[in-house]
Amino acid sequence: MDIAEVLKHTSSEHFLPNLTATDKQGALAEMVEGLISGTQISRPDAIMQMLTSREALGSTAVGPGIAFPHGRTLAVQRLTIMIARSTEGVDFDSEDGNKTHLFFMLIAPPQDSGHQYIKSLAALIDRVQDGDLRDSLMAAEDYEGFCNAMKEN
Amino acid sequence: MHPQLQLLVALQDLDEMINETANQGTELEGLGFKHGGLDELKKSRDDLATKIEPGHLSWYKRLTGKFGHAVVPVVSNLCTGCFANIPSSFVSKTNENKVQKCESCGRLLYWP
Ligand SMILES: [Zn+2]
Repeated sequence: MDIAEVLKHTSSEHFLPNLTATDKQGALAEMVEGLISGTQISRPDAIMQMLTSREALGSTAVGPGIAFPHGRTLAVQRLTIMIARSTEGVDFDSEDGNKTHLFFMLIAPPQDSGHQYIKSLAALIDRVQDGDLRDSLMAAEDYEGFCNAMKEN
Repeated sequence: MHPQLQLLVALQDLDEMINETANQGTELEGLGFKHGGLDELKKSRDDLATKIEPGHLSWYKRLTGKFGHAVVPVVSNLCTGCFANIPSSFVSKTNENKVQKCESCGRLLYWP
């Protein structure tokens, strides 16, 4: 899946350049709050519950300094991707024990029959394997700069 | 939202996650995700199910077997399971006090 295609599921409103939380629950809550603001979504508690269960299954901090919280819930109507950064870092139970600085949160409805969100997840994970890109993403001044870096070859 | 419906929504989300781990587990593990907490997750699912009234739970099981999903969102006054019209009076009067079923397909209705 093309990265530009994946980025259609996010927007400047879904970009949190400076997370304030430093623990997992706090960071998830901050991202869920960002996800629902300005939308019709009325059940942030259901989204939180799903994400917390997903983390209990195994931490989603699988990249070097990057986490991909994800899952499906009845609380949303379409695939939405939330992007967040933390300069200080969040303790997200990563395998290497290091803090997590970059987050891509993918929330999909249960009816996502083509597994669109897993394909998007795969494309994002593949893209951020590049260490130089990760540095550019952390340094990007705004959402536009972030997306441009993601799309650059 | 009715507390029982809230539990049914949480149950369906958990079942979705457990099914995904079973069906797309290999693909997800190939991406680097690990699912070491699966047994624990199944246990929380079963614990949650004990909080749901037996009548609702058996209806949930029956519908899940028949349709895949028992709880569906109502969007633009339509049941998104069978696309039958859900009268708007249905929503405001009884939504808070009762777990609502689609009169056409029987699916449990959720107003997102
Ligand atoms: Zn119906």
